[in-house]
Amino acid sequence: MTPQVSCVSGVEQLMDYLEDVLPLERRADLEAHLAVCARCVAFVASYRETPGVLRRATLAVPPPDLAPRVLEFLRRRG
Amino acid sequence: MAVPGPEPSDESLASRAVAGDESAFEVLVVRYQARAYRLAYRLLGAEGDPQDALQEAFLQVFRKLPSFRGEAKFATWLFRIVTNAALMQRRRRARRPAESLELYLPRFDASGLHAGTPAELQAAAHVEERLDRRLLAEKALAGIERLPDGYRAAFVLRDLEELPTAEVAEVLGLEPAAVRQRVHRARLMLRGYLSDLVGVKP
Repeated sequence: MTPQVSCVSGVEQLMDYLEDVLPLERRADLEAHLAVCARCVAFVASYRETPGVLRRATLAVPPPDLAPRVLEFLRRRG
Repeated sequence: MAVPGPEPSDESLASRAVAGDESAFEVLVVRYQARAYRLAYRLLGAEGDPQDALQEAFLQVFRKLPSFRGEAKFATWLFRIVTNAALMQRRRRARRPAESLELYLPRFDASGLHAGTPAELQAAAHVEERLDRRLLAEKALAGIERLPDGYRAAFVLRDLEELPTAEVAEVLGLEPAAVRQRVHRARLMLRGYLSDLVGVKP
């Protein structure tokens, strides 16, 4: 019998699972839990979306003359 | 008409720059300025000065280039210098202590099950549909700013700059497992923070 994965332990292992470094047996246990836990499925969806939401919201555009300004700074200081 | 050759590699430009070829260094600055600027911006938050951090970083790159031996990729080495320059600027800046994001960590009931319904648990995935873009941009930067110092750089490099975990580990001088642990904690907190922005408890 496989040990029970709770939502708590599932969350703890999530990053390793998504990065594919979770040992095979624990991976299978986690997948078995995800197959029956709608809350974890919803949680995983929001966990996976979080980086993208923050990435898209922080796309700074550098000032157009940034490179010449940096190079000028280096000429003065370098 | 001259046929353009393949773009010179970072490493070949770096060695030409060491040999005194100023234009090779300029190509490196132009090549990396936008990425380096974005990295500094994300690390520094709304009150930061990414251009200042960038100038300091490129000055260091210029000075340290002769000792760059190519053990790491040039980009990895550059990101380390930019990250450190941003960190130095943060230290110089007098800041109000940020309110911790710990309160946004996921909550569980006594039997270890998620508190909250599936719809509530998914709320963070729908922030972009429900929040004004400009407000979200402001809140996103403020949320990242509130991460513990040790987590911010790992999260920004891994999840916002999308470097592989192994490269983040190299930039920060950490083991990959430590990077994963920090990025994971940062994701958990920021996920809850995003939920809260749309009025849903994490």
